[in-house]
Amino acid sequence: MSFGNLCAQIDRCAYTNALAKSSPATKVFFALSALILSVSSPSPLVPIIVFLTTTTLLLRFAKIPAHFYSSLLVYPTIIVAISCFIIALFFGYGEPLTEIVLPWFRWTVFKSGVMMGVTTFFRVEGALSCLYFLVLTTSMGDIFIILRRAHIPKILIEMSLLIYRYMFVFMEVAAQMYTAQKLRLGHSSWQKRIRSTALLAGNLFIRTLEQGERTFIAMNARGYDGNIRNLDDLPRPRRVSLMGIVFFDVILVFVTLSTINLW
Amino acid sequence: MVIRMLFRLENVSYRYSDGTLALDGISLSLAKGERMILLGTNGSGKTTLLLHLNGILKPTSGKVYFEDKPLEYTSKSLLDLRRRVGFVFQDPNDQLFAPTVKQDVAFGPLNLGQPIDKVKKSVNEALKIVGMSEYADKPPHFLSLGQKKRVALAGVLAMRPEVLVMDEPTSNLDPRAASKILHLLLQLNQEFGLTLILATHDVDMVPLFATKLHIMSKGKIVLEGSPEEIFSNTELIRSIDLRSPRITHLFEILRRKNHLLINKRLPLTIGEARREILELINFGDIIKLKRTTKEGNYA
Ligand SMILES: Nc1ncnc2c1ncn2[C@@H]1O[C@H](COP(=O)(O)OP(=O)(O)OP(=O)(O)O)[C@@H](O)[C@H]1O
Ligand SMILES: [Mg+2]
Repeated sequence: MSFGNLCAQIDRCAYTNALAKSSPATKVFFALSALILSVSSPSPLVPIIVFLTTTTLLLRFAKIPAHFYSSLLVYPTIIVAISCFIIALFFGYGEPLTEIVLPWFRWTVFKSGVMMGVTTFFRVEGALSCLYFLVLTTSMGDIFIILRRAHIPKILIEMSLLIYRYMFVFMEVAAQMYTAQKLRLGHSSWQKRIRSTALLAGNLFIRTLEQGERTFIAMNARGYDGNIRNLDDLPRPRRVSLMGIVFFDVILVFVTLSTINLW
Repeated sequence: MVIRMLFRLENVSYRYSDGTLALDGISLSLAKGERMILLGTNGSGKTTLLLHLNGILKPTSGKVYFEDKPLEYTSKSLLDLRRRVGFVFQDPNDQLFAPTVKQDVAFGPLNLGQPIDKVKKSVNEALKIVGMSEYADKPPHFLSLGQKKRVALAGVLAMRPEVLVMDEPTSNLDPRAASKILHLLLQLNQEFGLTLILATHDVDMVPLFATKLHIMSKGKIVLEGSPEEIFSNTELIRSIDLRSPRITHLFEILRRKNHLLINKRLPLTIGEARREILELINFGDIIKLKRTTKEGNYA
C-alpha cells in the first residue's frame, strides 16, 4: 500500500464513517483530552483504558473496518515496541531485575528501566489510538473549521487548506503521467526509469506553480479579497456526549492519581 | 442611440508574456439579456477573450467597456465588477479549492458579505439547481470531472451574477447533464434576464441556444451575427475548420447531391428539420411512395 493510497483511504474513512456527521468539536475534545491524559500518565493503566475505549469507539460506533484499523496500527507498533525494548534494556537504575551474562559480556537490567519501557509503550499506543480516532472520524473540512475557531493563525489554516485540496489533484496528475510514461515504455529499463522519474518530478513541479496561479485567478473571479471565509455550520455538540467525555476524563484522572504511588 | 450596451470591446489585442498574440484587434458589443456564443477552434483565443470580460486580463492595447464605462483595474472596482460578472472556468480543478463542496459553493456568497442564513440558502439552492445537493459534504476529490463542473457552476450561480461567463460549459458532461445545464441557463436567461456568454466548439448546441454568435479564428473575430445568418455561409465556415450543425449538414448534402428542393435557408435544429421534412412530404413523391407500399400490403 503506497503512502498516497493510504492518505486517500484515511481521507475517505473520515468522510464516510458512521460518526462523520456527529459534532467535530466533541470528537476533537474527546481525542485531545484522552491524548493528554494518556501521555501524562505515570502508569500504563490509563493508556490501556484509553486505547481500549478509542478502539471500541472506532470499531463499534464509527464502523471502521477492523482490518484497516489494524493495518494502520501494525507498523507504528513494531517501531515503538523495538524502541521500548531498548529503553527497557538500557535505562533505569536502583534495584536490578536480572543480569544478562554472556562469556564476554555482562549487562544489568533494572526494574525501573523495564517499567519505563512498558509505560512508554502503552503511552504511545494510547496516544496513537487517540490520533487515529481524530483522523479517521473527522474530515479535514471540519478540522479546518475547528482550527479557525481555536484562533490558530489564519495563514497556517489557509495554506493547509489549499495544500490539502491540491495534494489530491497532484496525486491524480502524477498517477496519470506515470501511466502515460509506462504506456510509452518510459520505465522499461532502469536508465529509462530514472530519466522518466526525473521528468515527471520536474513536470509536476512546474504544474504546481501554474496551478497556484490559476487557482488564485479563479478565486479572484469569485471576489477573493485576501480572506478565505468559511461557512461555519458544524453540528452542535450534544450535551450528553460532552458530559460523557468529562465523566470519562474524571475517571482517568482518578485512576492516574491512585496509581502514582503503586507504580 | 438609447440602447445601452452591456459590454463593448474596442480593438482589443492581447499578447501573452511569451510573445503569443492571442487576441488581434477584437471589437464586439453585447446587449443586456443576450445569449452569446463564442465559437472557435482550439487555440483561437476564446479563453483569452473571456478573461478580459471580468478584468482578469488587461488588454495590451484597446479598451473594454462595461455599461459604457471603461474598466478600471483597481482592486476595488474589479471586486465590484466581479460581483456582477460570474465566471466559470474551463477546468473545474482550477476553481474548486475548498475541502468540501458546500464550503466551495459558499466561498463566493461569503465574499459578497451576505449574512450566514442567506449564504446557506444560496448554497442549497445553487446545489439543487445543478443537481448536486447530495454531495454537499463531500470533498471535491470524490467527484467525477462532470460533477466537479456542475459544482463549479453552482459556486458562481450562488453569487447571483447579472452576467454569466462560461468557458466550455458542456465539455466532459454526459448528454443529459449537458442538456440539463443548457436548459437551466436558458431558463435563468428568460426568467431573470441573466446575460450569458459562452465559449465552445460544440457547434450543435449553438442554434438551440444562441441569440448571437461570434466566430473566432487565430485571435480575430471572423464572423458575427445570428446563427441563421452565419450557418448559411457554408464555405466560410469550412474555411476556418469549423462545421455546420449535423442536421444542417445533412440537409445541405440532400440539396446538393439529391437535388432536394429547399429554397429557404437550411434548418439548424431538429425542430426546424422536422417541419421542413413534413412540408416536403406534403408536396411530393414521398406520399406516393407510402401509398404504393400500402397497396402492396393489401395485395
Ligand atoms: N498563459 C499563456 N501563455 C502563453 N500563451 C498562451 C497562454 N494561454 C494561452 N496562450 C496562447 O494563446 C492562444 C489562445 O489561447 P486560448 O486559451 O485563448 O485558446 P482557446 O480558444 O480558449 O482554446 P481551447 O478551445 O483549446 O480552450 C493560443 O495560441 C495559446 O497557445
Ligand atoms: Mg479555452
